[in-house]
Amino acid sequence: MANKSVLFKIKRQASPSTEPFWEEFEVEYRPGLNVISLFMEVAVNPVTRAGKPTTPINYDSNCLEEVCGSCAMLINGKARMGCSALVDNLEQPITIEPFSKFPVIRDLQVDRSVLFENLKAVKAWVPIDGTYALGDGPRILPQVQEQAYQLSQCMSCCCCMEACPQFNESTGFVGAATIAQARLFNMHPTGKVLKQERLAALMGDGGIQECGYAQNCVEACPKDIPLTRSISDVGGDVMKKAILDFFRT
Amino acid sequence: MASTAQSTSSTLPKGVAPLRAGVGNSFLWRRLHSLTGIVPVGLFLLEHFLSNAEALNGVGAYNAQVKFLTGLPFRLGMEIFGIFIPLAFHALYGVYIWWRGENNVIDYPWAGNWFYTVQRYSGILVFAYVTYHIWYMRFAGVHLVDHYDASFWKVQHELSHQLALGIYVVGVIAASWHFGYGLFLFAAKWGIVTGKKAQKRAQAAGIALSILLMLMGLATVYAFVTAEPQKKNPVWDQHSESAPEQSRLIPQSTPSSQAR
Ligand code: SF4
Ligand code: SF4
Ligand code: FES
Repeated sequence: MANKSVLFKIKRQASPSTEPFWEEFEVEYRPGLNVISLFMEVAVNPVTRAGKPTTPINYDSNCLEEVCGSCAMLINGKARMGCSALVDNLEQPITIEPFSKFPVIRDLQVDRSVLFENLKAVKAWVPIDGTYALGDGPRILPQVQEQAYQLSQCMSCCCCMEACPQFNESTGFVGAATIAQARLFNMHPTGKVLKQERLAALMGDGGIQECGYAQNCVEACPKDIPLTRSISDVGGDVMKKAILDFFRT
Repeated sequence: MASTAQSTSSTLPKGVAPLRAGVGNSFLWRRLHSLTGIVPVGLFLLEHFLSNAEALNGVGAYNAQVKFLTGLPFRLGMEIFGIFIPLAFHALYGVYIWWRGENNVIDYPWAGNWFYTVQRYSGILVFAYVTYHIWYMRFAGVHLVDHYDASFWKVQHELSHQLALGIYVVGVIAASWHFGYGLFLFAAKWGIVTGKKAQKRAQAAGIALSILLMLMGLATVYAFVTAEPQKKNPVWDQHSESAPEQSRLIPQSTPSSQAR
């Protein structure tokens, strides 16, 4: 048998309306294990540490290489991706919980549709739909491309929002990811056409003003997206718009 | 079926609401809160620290500074519209902001998050302190608008109580921090300082200003505590508009009443 094992406990919940409960597991250690692979081990043999048969753990995951954004959860209290959380680097017993600010669907799977709603609210896209061919798009300078590329790596994991002290039910704050995406599409020579609408949206209740600049978002983001930079940048754009609106409308 | 779905949906956690694009005035209020923290409240704070530091130049200099300030034209208007209303707005809206924020510094013990937390709680501390301070210095006891020459004595008398001294030291430190760091937050949120390096510098500058103000404030407190104890003039208890007249009358009347 195993001479070394991995201990972890998971906060589980059978359905959105039932009470959460904790279950403890122990699996055999292998080098290179990550948190998602622990769940796979449990699925092979769904028995708790105490020997009680249980159900396999429900969780989101897809790419297993930190690019899809689906496997976000709280690992030892912090918002991060399960697939890139290596067991070797974690203190045991590892505590694993679903995100605390998003409704739980089951176990570690949560409803993160608020981010999608927010992206729609700021029109985070380049509007090119039409009935005829529009021809080549405008050129994008390499300097702009470089900045845009960083922002375009956002994988909608919502770590930045979970870690943000201002993102909660009483503020209804939009969160850093949406602000960064608004900046990305405002940078695009064709996307720019919606810039004023995006900024106006971000001035609504729950908008950019709710940021308290705690800078947790930028620390938590697994893709190292320059979030606080984006908040300051868009914060400046929004102020310019507010002042111009005041004098020119 | 439909009824059960409805009854459960009301008890289910809904999570954080999406952005309300085009709805509400919170942008205006929140930015106004930010702005009033700098102008006029922050500016007044600087003036106030500087004026109080006159205590380092002695009793006469301090009382003269109070005479100058209380003698300014439109004093009452400036007090109400330049200080009281913006300060009250900044404080009350600040409590609302504090109320809606959350503490997660235990799970995310990062520097920015610590500063965010300290900013929220120092605000509450300053609110409590300033309320007490204004009540005592502006409204209670000897009235300094009528008796500028009582100023040094009044502050010194107040600081002779251990508890009050402690409250003042905490208040000075909290107010200095809240303003210095708030200046950085203002620059970052309004998009004045945006880059990573530039923000590091701005943050350091804000903190340096905080420390400078703390030292200035504490030196002022020290000056009051270590100065020769002032004596109270009974004239100062005479209150309101007629006070200056009485203060001229009383010294004359006292000898004559003694003579009788
Ligand atoms: S800077 Fe702080 S308050 Fe603002 S979005 Fe990031 S974590 Fe939230
Ligand atoms: S900005 Fe970063 S933390 Fe936020 S959703 Fe995108 S990838 Fe995730
Ligand atoms: S599974 Fe895609 S980010 Fe973890």
